[in-house]
Amino acid sequence: MTKESTEIARGLRRQDPDLLDRLIEQYQHRLLRYLICLTGRRELAEDLFQETWIRVLERGHQFNDKYAFGTWLFAVARNLVIDHMRRKQPASLDGLLNDGEAAFDVPATGQASAFDTTLQREQNEHIAAGMQHLPAEYREALVLRFQEGMSLEEIASVAHVPLGTVKSRIYRGLTALEPWLKGAAL
Amino acid sequence: MNTDAHERARELIALSGSEELSADQSSNAWLVAHLETCASCRAFAENVGETIRGLRAIPIAAERSLVSTTQMRVRRRALELQRQRERLWLVSVSCTAVALCALLSTLALWRGFEWLGTRAQLASSVWQVGFLVFCVMPALLVGILLLAKDKHLADHTGSYTG
Repeated sequence: MTKESTEIARGLRRQDPDLLDRLIEQYQHRLLRYLICLTGRRELAEDLFQETWIRVLERGHQFNDKYAFGTWLFAVARNLVIDHMRRKQPASLDGLLNDGEAAFDVPATGQASAFDTTLQREQNEHIAAGMQHLPAEYREALVLRFQEGMSLEEIASVAHVPLGTVKSRIYRGLTALEPWLKGAAL
Repeated sequence: MNTDAHERARELIALSGSEELSADQSSNAWLVAHLETCASCRAFAENVGETIRGLRAIPIAAERSLVSTTQMRVRRRALELQRQRERLWLVSVSCTAVALCALLSTLALWRGFEWLGTRAQLASSVWQVGFLVFCVMPALLVGILLLAKDKHLADHTGSYTG
């Protein structure tokens, strides 16, 4: 239990709007990235982003300060995505496999040489496109592991699956992305 | 070298950087030794490295307007919840006060009816029935008035539409 988690838990029990303002600022990019990864659609992800924070406000008393706030936040967001998909059509995360819309915008990066930039950008585009074609569970595992830097245990806790399943999802996700890296599957 | 060894090496590569693997020195040593002799796993490791770098390089940022809208919505909802809690508190206090008053007045009325019954030398069943009628009377009156009002409205609506 960290001091920070305890303070967050206390603030959430009080439904302190100032604390929530700070948390929204702190987790804005990470949460949105995760939601886009799960839903595959930016617009929907933005709606769910707002809903997630409303849910955090309403259910804040359920946050257990034994865990990191980020892990709980992602679990809340994940449940909202599943609820949304169930309303749309009875499904689990499996139903979130992309429906052809572009989700991962890849803007231009860095100030490297033009060639490097183009190469890197192309590679990122390939990976982003590959992500679109992965099953949502694999996408989720990859994003949480490599973009959010979560530990395997934290991912297992967010996704409510055993550790072995997390390992296998990461392995399979990376293996499935391999052809996309080379641009072969495009 | 069998397929299991490649499979194991690929799994270890995919989990590289995890705390579990970092702590497992023997697996690490085995992987390093395997990579020295296996070109396909080495290529896989390079690809995984590229993929991970690529994943980290996908920049998705929340727009300022989304953040401020969310903060505003959260603040509004927090205010609503606070007002709800205040209303709930008021309702609970009112309910408790009403229940207490009802209890005290029922007791006082009971005593009053008992006293009147004794003074008028009535059988206890008589003043008890009187007490019941007295208690039920307000509800009966309100019921009758509401029925009359509904009938009145129905008659008028009928005359307007018919």
